Amino acid sequence: MLLAINHLQVQYGKQTALDIEENITIESGDRIGIIGSNGAGKTTLVKSILGLTNYKGSIQTELKKEEIGVHMQYNNYANTMPVKNIMETLLNTSIKKNGKLQELIYFFEFEPCLKKRYSSLSGGQKQRFTIIMVMMQNAPLTFYDEVTSGLDFETRQKLMEKLLEWYQGKENALCIVSHYYDELELLADKVLILDQGKVIAFGNKEILFEKYCGHAVITIDNSEKNDMLTKQFSHLLSPGHLIALSCRDVAEEEKIIRVLLEQDVNFKRSNHDIEIMYINAKALYYGGECVDSHFVQDTVKEGRNEEKYKYKAV
Amino acid sequence: MKKNINIKQCNAKLIKYEMLNILGNPFADFFGVVFPIMMLFIITEAMKSEIPAGGYAEACTAVFISLSMIIPMAILLLGYAATYAQELEKEIPLRMILFGYPESAAMLAKVIAQAIVVTAALLVYGVIGGIGLELSTPTVGAVIGLMLCQYLLGVIFFGIAHGVSSLFRKFGPTYAVMMTLYFGMMILCGMMGIKAEDLPKFLQVISNLLPMSHIGNDYIDVWMGRSYNFVPMLQAFLFLGAVAGIVMVMAGYKNRRTRG
Repeated sequence: MLLAINHLQVQYGKQTALDIEENITIESGDRIGIIGSNGAGKTTLVKSILGLTNYKGSIQTELKKEEIGVHMQYNNYANTMPVKNIMETLLNTSIKKNGKLQELIYFFEFEPCLKKRYSSLSGGQKQRFTIIMVMMQNAPLTFYDEVTSGLDFETRQKLMEKLLEWYQGKENALCIVSHYYDELELLADKVLILDQGKVIAFGNKEILFEKYCGHAVITIDNSEKNDMLTKQFSHLLSPGHLIALSCRDVAEEEKIIRVLLEQDVNFKRSNHDIEIMYINAKALYYGGECVDSHFVQDTVKEGRNEEKYKYKAV
Repeated sequence: MKKNINIKQCNAKLIKYEMLNILGNPFADFFGVVFPIMMLFIITEAMKSEIPAGGYAEACTAVFISLSMIIPMAILLLGYAATYAQELEKEIPLRMILFGYPESAAMLAKVIAQAIVVTAALLVYGVIGGIGLELSTPTVGAVIGLMLCQYLLGVIFFGIAHGVSSLFRKFGPTYAVMMTLYFGMMILCGMMGIKAEDLPKFLQVISNLLPMSHIGNDYIDVWMGRSYNFVPMLQAFLFLGAVAGIVMVMAGYKNRRTRG
């Protein structure tokens, strides 16, 4: 066990930022995706683990602060010198003599940036700068807090591929805070869902998916025709533009697919859709029903991936 | 998994980093290196017509001693406070800790780097002043004494700057307070051309509490080998040192952390 959290509570004034009643443990080699909307307590959790905020409860770990790699949501560095000097100082190495570091700099196409000052770097370059250094740290436990925020799709994809490749087969535990579900699907094997400081769910990705979504999920465009066509099947909560159908087993999955094929409806099938899982875990936590119910959804968009769902079982 | 002990000590790279940090601050460069030399030549040039030729070297020396204190004031009191407050605002010390530099190592590197830069600036000032001006020849003891005073002042200024920036943890208010202190002290200690005895009575009392006043106004006696009572200067050092200590304790108290 690398780290264990027991009954963690963080207050900011009168507001409870984090109130974790469950026991959460992080083991070597874990890839934990931390998910939740803004204000869910994701960054507060990272700060508590690092001892950067006052908390009640216990966080047990033998790791020192220096043994935890952190890519914070906002990273700042001195502006008085080129980033090359900052990199060499923080890593206590020389780029010229460090092949591994050279490789990372090359991969992230960071060479032209080395002589620039931190304030002159673009958003993506700033992210890459910290990522290179965090990767070089090779810490037993590393947090990536919204590491791809503000990056374009292609850079995000490349970054995720590199992270995946870099940590492949390594014993380092990773905690990845992200709003992008596709990133978590790619990187995480465990999921921690937070909402308003509470733990909605924590556990193995597949087990949680089975619990909240069933054997598989089939998603189709949300239209009146599709809604009528799939009335006989179990609906899950989903983003407003989609209808999500829960398949309890292979037989049900085949049945749904047959109907969709007969009606020439395009569909997507997944057994690890974190977004649908997240939405339904949240709904269940707050007293709704998920699998085996048919929900009427009224989605109110509140920005990227943050949607509120009004629902009722029918 | 085998733990990766990533704790680093104060090293040459960290000291170089801190030096670049100091020199990368244009305010510290200007006020700490250019400004005192510029003022030294402007003031001594202006005095030329007012002072009889026989006393000119001693007058120049008095100005040279007085303005030398601008160096630790600008680099440490003003420059360090501004840089460190910005660092705190951007949580850079936290990043240093997360990359394995304990606070003590980072602080040691800062102290060493500041000492190197202040020493270099004093040397530049001394060499240019010595070459460009007609200064009285000091005794060895007087030079050593002046250097000691500069380093003692440096330690005190570092304490005040560190304490104030740790109290505010923001560049804006820290810089405002330090600028006020910097120019206030310069005026009170006779570095802006106003003599302490020409100040209003209550300001003279404050002026006497500052060691820079004693160094600026009286150290010429030591330089010239004349007798000098060091007690008031020592008392002023103790007073300013106590102020620095109090500010540091207040900052430490404000930034204390309780953990569950």
